[in-house]
Amino acid sequence: MRIKTISRSVDEFTRERSQDLQRVFHNFDPSLRPMEKAVEYQRALTAAKLEKIFARPFVGAMDGHRDGISCMAKNPNYLKGIFSASMDGDIRLWDIATRRTVCQFPGHQGAVRGLTVSTDGNVLVSCGTDCNVRLWSVPRPSLEDSDLSSEKSTEVVHCLFFLITLYSLVLLFILITSFFLSQPSAVYTCKNALLAVDHQFEGDLFATAGAQLDIWNHNRSQPVQSFTSGSHSVISVRFNPGEPDILATSSGDNHISIYDIRMSSAARKILMRTKTNSIAWNPMEPMNFTAANEDGNCYSFDGRKNEEAKCVHKDHVSAVMDIDFSPTGREFVTGSYDRSVRIFPYNGGHSREIYHTKRMQRVFCVKYSSDATYVISGSDDTNLRLWKAKASEQLGVILPREQKKHEYNEAVKNRYKHLPEIKRIVRHRHLPKPIYKAKAESRAMNDAKRRKDERRKAHSAPGTVVTESHRTRRIIKEVE
Amino acid sequence: MGGLKRKSSSSAKTLAKSKKKKGPHLPNSILKVIANQKRPLNSDEEDDDVIGSDDEHGGDLYEYEEGVPEEESRKNNRYDRHDNYDYELPEDFEPWIVFLVACHCESKSKPVLFTEAYPEGEFNPTRDVLEGKNVLTEEDFLAPLEGTPGYQKTSKQIARMRKDTKHVVHAPLPKPQRERLERKAVIGLVDEEFSKWVHLVKKNREAPTVYFNQDVDLGYSTVGAIASEFQPRTDFEKKMASVLNDSEVSMEDHIKDRNHIAKMRSLLFRHELKSKRIKKIKSKTYHRLKNKDLKNSSLGALIDPEMAKEEAMRQEAKRVEERMTLKHKNTGKWAKRMISRGLNVKYDGTKAAIAEQLQMNATLSRKMNSMRDGSSSDESDDEEELNDGSDEDTPSRLIAKAKEKTLRALEDDEVPNAGLMSLPFMARAMKKKNEEANEEAKRALEEYEEWENSGGENSKKTVNVSGRRVFGATAKVEAPKESRKDSDNFYDDSDSDNDMAGIEDNNIEPVRDNASPARNTITDTEKFDDDVAGNPASKTTFDVAMFASGSWKKMTGSKNTESKKASKKTRAPTPQAQDKKGSRDEESEDSESEAEEMVDGVLTFASKETFEVPSQAELINRAFAGDDVLDEFEKDKEEVLNQEVPKPEKPVLVPGWGNWTDIQRKRGISKQMVQKHEAEKKEWEQGLKTRKDARLKHVIISEKVDKKAEKLHTTTLPFPYTSKEVFEHSMRMPIGPEFNPSTIVGELNRPEVVKKTGVIIKPVKFEEVNPNDEVDDEHPRNHQKQRPKKKTSRRQGKVKSK
Repeated sequence: MRIKTISRSVDEFTRERSQDLQRVFHNFDPSLRPMEKAVEYQRALTAAKLEKIFARPFVGAMDGHRDGISCMAKNPNYLKGIFSASMDGDIRLWDIATRRTVCQFPGHQGAVRGLTVSTDGNVLVSCGTDCNVRLWSVPRPSLEDSDLSSEKSTEVVHCLFFLITLYSLVLLFILITSFFLSQPSAVYTCKNALLAVDHQFEGDLFATAGAQLDIWNHNRSQPVQSFTSGSHSVISVRFNPGEPDILATSSGDNHISIYDIRMSSAARKILMRTKTNSIAWNPMEPMNFTAANEDGNCYSFDGRKNEEAKCVHKDHVSAVMDIDFSPTGREFVTGSYDRSVRIFPYNGGHSREIYHTKRMQRVFCVKYSSDATYVISGSDDTNLRLWKAKASEQLGVILPREQKKHEYNEAVKNRYKHLPEIKRIVRHRHLPKPIYKAKAESRAMNDAKRRKDERRKAHSAPGTVVTESHRTRRIIKEVE
Repeated sequence: MGGLKRKSSSSAKTLAKSKKKKGPHLPNSILKVIANQKRPLNSDEEDDDVIGSDDEHGGDLYEYEEGVPEEESRKNNRYDRHDNYDYELPEDFEPWIVFLVACHCESKSKPVLFTEAYPEGEFNPTRDVLEGKNVLTEEDFLAPLEGTPGYQKTSKQIARMRKDTKHVVHAPLPKPQRERLERKAVIGLVDEEFSKWVHLVKKNREAPTVYFNQDVDLGYSTVGAIASEFQPRTDFEKKMASVLNDSEVSMEDHIKDRNHIAKMRSLLFRHELKSKRIKKIKSKTYHRLKNKDLKNSSLGALIDPEMAKEEAMRQEAKRVEERMTLKHKNTGKWAKRMISRGLNVKYDGTKAAIAEQLQMNATLSRKMNSMRDGSSSDESDDEEELNDGSDEDTPSRLIAKAKEKTLRALEDDEVPNAGLMSLPFMARAMKKKNEEANEEAKRALEEYEEWENSGGENSKKTVNVSGRRVFGATAKVEAPKESRKDSDNFYDDSDSDNDMAGIEDNNIEPVRDNASPARNTITDTEKFDDDVAGNPASKTTFDVAMFASGSWKKMTGSKNTESKKASKKTRAPTPQAQDKKGSRDEESEDSESEAEEMVDGVLTFASKETFEVPSQAELINRAFAGDDVLDEFEKDKEEVLNQEVPKPEKPVLVPGWGNWTDIQRKRGISKQMVQKHEAEKKEWEQGLKTRKDARLKHVIISEKVDKKAEKLHTTTLPFPYTSKEVFEHSMRMPIGPEFNPSTIVGELNRPEVVKKTGVIIKPVKFEEVNPNDEVDDEHPRNHQKQRPKKKTSRRQGKVKSK
């Protein structure tokens, strides 16, 4: 008879420090754990429920503007700063961490319609309905950094005798910072009102959209190049982050055009049934872009094949006003006229998340933060709102074990997301009543239309009635 | 010249006209009349000019007719070309061509005489134009110039131009067409730009995890990293650095080291060459001597399996000798005396010496190869099978067979003349044994003949008579005395079986040949006939024993429960029991048990005569006489069906429910209820029909839905999966830390995107990606660049490689 003995060497089992964990041995034989699937399913269920419990996406609002926010720009070089402009011509720089205005840029008469920051984060470009393009130099971030932290540290360090004087100093400091006004470094004037501006990635060109598309250099008072197309004005322009010379525009005559600024004319033109309000390029896939359309859908296109959209992202019940890609390229955020912000996967037909509050009005602009962790929305109610990109994400420092646990929960949930119970919990969202009703209504309309089409098809000669796919339905043609 | 002048005047007129035309729109005829009336009022200058111009062409009455609005006149085809002359002029452009063309056009636009009611236009061309006559050509213009200097040159040039179609400037394409062409060119370029990203994008998309936390520059992380970058600045530091650097490996040491390695390498090489050369030598004697050397060194045993075998054989011989002589088992004179006097207890030295002897004995007689103990039993099993097979033979045939074998054994009587068997004492022992065996064989032969005469009925009796048991019993009495006398064979008995098994397993044939005769008794029966060179005596004994035991088994085997076990035990010792009159305690035990079995066998044999074997069906019927299986099954099935497709309940009259008692009773069950019941019944029947086991009478196929398990199933195949198998395979293994080793848990649970809060993610940068490369996921989890210097160096390397 054989006796199996346990032999363990002292070397392997001696801990280096008393805090070290003891070695634990596991037998991974699956026959010993027949219930593993059930256990993991239960964990997935728990994780889904926990996600719901911890879903608190709203971080805070930034108020200060006196009119609806028209546009925003994020500083590509500095995470905490975000610029916003309102319909009354007010431009502000916000510190996201403290959610306060750091700096104001006065000067525009009338609404500011476009804002953009150069890639190095030094130059802010704004344009508006007053036919002006204004260039501003962005204050150094060190100024904002020493905002609150310095106050506290000085408080701690200094003794009581200087307390009163210190407070007065601090107050003065706050006053100065809150009324810190910047002067434009340059003002260029055009003939027509401007509706959008965007800066080239890692270059010194920027493009303005108005009656025509103009390409500007920082240092020239006249456009370097201009493109005209048709009689309608261009309403949005966006440079490709991967290919700095390529940009996409949308115009009032329902066209989406792709330009190469080294060439003299547009490369591609798509004619759609409805207007496109905004365009965003995928920062990780330079050939792909997504267009936010007036009909409440977003259309993802491949820049090389425009006769059909690659994906139609449906969920908004009203016009999509703005769109911004996550820097990871896997998601994008949209703001809509239906007073909601949604986050879509780049290849998914429906949104992953909807954000709304009671007081948030029409959303005119949205931005995804440069670290893909936050989403910022600017709306008609004069507020900027800061949201978490993942509603239930734990912020702050996370210890490795905690991190592992989160990852496991996520993986398990992702694994069993197809099962009915988990799917129901994960998908469930409370919607504002108007959106809920509008959705139900549109669903009813779509169903009716579909039914009618089916009947029409059934009662006509085969092949005469062709149902067009959703991906091509709203595209009239690609202009040759 | 005149033409030019006219052009200017006419343009002025048209301008004036267009200004005038801002009023109400009037037909041309009315306008004419008005113009005629107004003429005196108009400025003279204009009129004069007009008249003058008209005069040149022969006094036109309808001069105002020519003042058609520009738009109308443009309707004429001939004017179309005018609009498109704003393109760039070619290099070899000559202004006078333009002049000629202009003249040509002007001349056509201004007919000399208007004989038509309507002004000349697109839909009303002049007759000249229609007929193709009177059209002005270049010659017409050149005619007056004839004779002037340069005429020849000009006419030549024109002629050349007519021939030369290459240099003719064509009209540019219309704008939409031109734009389309331009766009096409741009599209090609832009698509090319986009297409270069495809591989990179594909790689990113297919990667199980995309990392965005790589660009975190933590600076220096370890003390070593900091130290490696240290540059001495102050005097003290420099001094220290110089001292430290001195202690490093000097050049001489390095050279020494290198030389040493070179030497070793050359030695190795020479050795290799030498061994190659030796291998080539064909001389047998050389190799024999060499092998001998190797053998002597005892190192060879480790290398050569042949040698190992020989070694084992030698060891075995030693062991055999030890076991035969019992030199070290206290059988010596001295040892016996010591033990008999009890000195071994008294003195430690003696005790130790005896112990040492015993130890030596133990080591010498220890079995060498006990690797496969089970094999011997396997062999015996085989034998048993063989015997079982022989059981089926008729007794007469068996007897004949045995007889034949015995005779053959008697015939060949050879004595080996080499090896262990050739030793004198061995030979003597063999001879003795052979004689005994022969005697036995003869006796057996007689017995066979007797059996043959008496027939199969006597077989039982003869077996009893075969007398092994008797021998065994007598041997038991004699055992103590005999054990000493013929100890050589006696000890062989004890474990010869096992020994042989062990050796045979190792395929050491020579040993078997040299082994003692007793051992050969247990060799494989199949080989038996072939091994004629073996010991005839032992063969005989074996055969006899086999037969005897077989015949015995035949009787006991019918009912005896432990027959197999018993036969296994007894068969091995039986030959010895027959060979000699002596046997050991162990054997006596066997004989006892056998005796009992024999009794059993007799009893059963007796009962067997009256027993008739019933048929299989009858047996089954008898066995299951009590229970009605079919009925039970039907009941079971009905129960299952009722559970899974419950039968609808019949509507029952419940007084007080639904109506007043009396009235209800009179009316009976309401129609509605009956209808409902009917519908339910139909549904139930349908449900029964659609079951899988509806037509299978003897089968129940459960269609019960496990509600608790249902939540673990999806109704449809989830999106990215295309087949059920793939999906199920992906769900097969758990991913938790309890079910997986910690080394792979991280990878199993890794999210698709790994990012870090607070780290700015830059847009994708172009890099060449080989599309054939597989996506590797051996990415470190927290891939943080810790040394900025290294990064720059890598970049430099890249630049260089480019």
